[in-house]
Amino acid sequence: MMNDKNILDEKEAKELAFSVPENYFDQFALQIDKQIGYQHTASRKLLRSWMYVAAMFVGVLIIGQVFYATHKRNLARNEENYESYVLSQVDESSMVDYYVEQSNQTDHK
Amino acid sequence: MDLTEEELLLQLNQPKSRSRAFSFVVRSYQERIYWHIRKMVISHDDANDVLQNTFMKAWNGIDGFRGDSKLSTWLYRIATNETISFLANKRMRSQGSIDDVEASLLQNLQADTYFNGSEIQLKLQEAILTLPEKQRLVFNMKYFDDITYDEMEAILGTSTGALKASYHHAVKKIEKFFSEEN
Repeated sequence: MMNDKNILDEKEAKELAFSVPENYFDQFALQIDKQIGYQHTASRKLLRSWMYVAAMFVGVLIIGQVFYATHKRNLARNEENYESYVLSQVDESSMVDYYVEQSNQTDHK
Repeated sequence: MDLTEEELLLQLNQPKSRSRAFSFVVRSYQERIYWHIRKMVISHDDANDVLQNTFMKAWNGIDGFRGDSKLSTWLYRIATNETISFLANKRMRSQGSIDDVEASLLQNLQADTYFNGSEIQLKLQEAILTLPEKQRLVFNMKYFDDITYDEMEAILGTSTGALKASYHHAVKKIEKFFSEEN
């Protein structure tokens, strides 16, 4: 029921009946942040920590690669050294005997 | 973040902290400024556009803000100017059309999904839309937001006496509107 005289004194009249879409103000503030080029500290911190993790991962990969290559090189060198050592322990005449024996065995077959 | 107005101004004046401080300003004042605009332009989409223009104008004009007035007064002043220009543009575009701007605002209100007012609230909006623009502004600021005449003077640049007279006339016109309706 409308009371024409005191309509402006009614509590209901003073209440605004407008509304906004859900989360409107949060979205609006984020939109303005974007327009002024502001990045939130939280998201910046998150981005920074992800960058640290990625950098660490790449670092571990590189170090692993270096260690692996060095290890392979050392293995090869050790094999070479062992062969040289074995050869150095055998005198020339024994070597000749060994080769002759080997070739005789082949001939018999 | 909980800052005093002085600290906020200091941060706004330093390029390094400016965007962070302005983001805080937006979050602190956006609702009040939005409702100030919305009551004048009625539709949510229009209010959203004007609100965006308001904050972008404020952002681009920070260097010109010396802190002579309160931050909220400065923002209200920008929002008011933006709203008046928006309505003036709308009026210019609607020249030659049968309905005037206020009639089209009322039509928008009746169809607005973001207005769910009672019969009294709708009638009151209709009555407010019969007021001249400046009177409508003064009425909304005093009646709904209870802004003091001193603050209104700082925002609108109109003397307190003139504002009081404007509000008085607005109230009389609205009362007359309702008495004629019945």
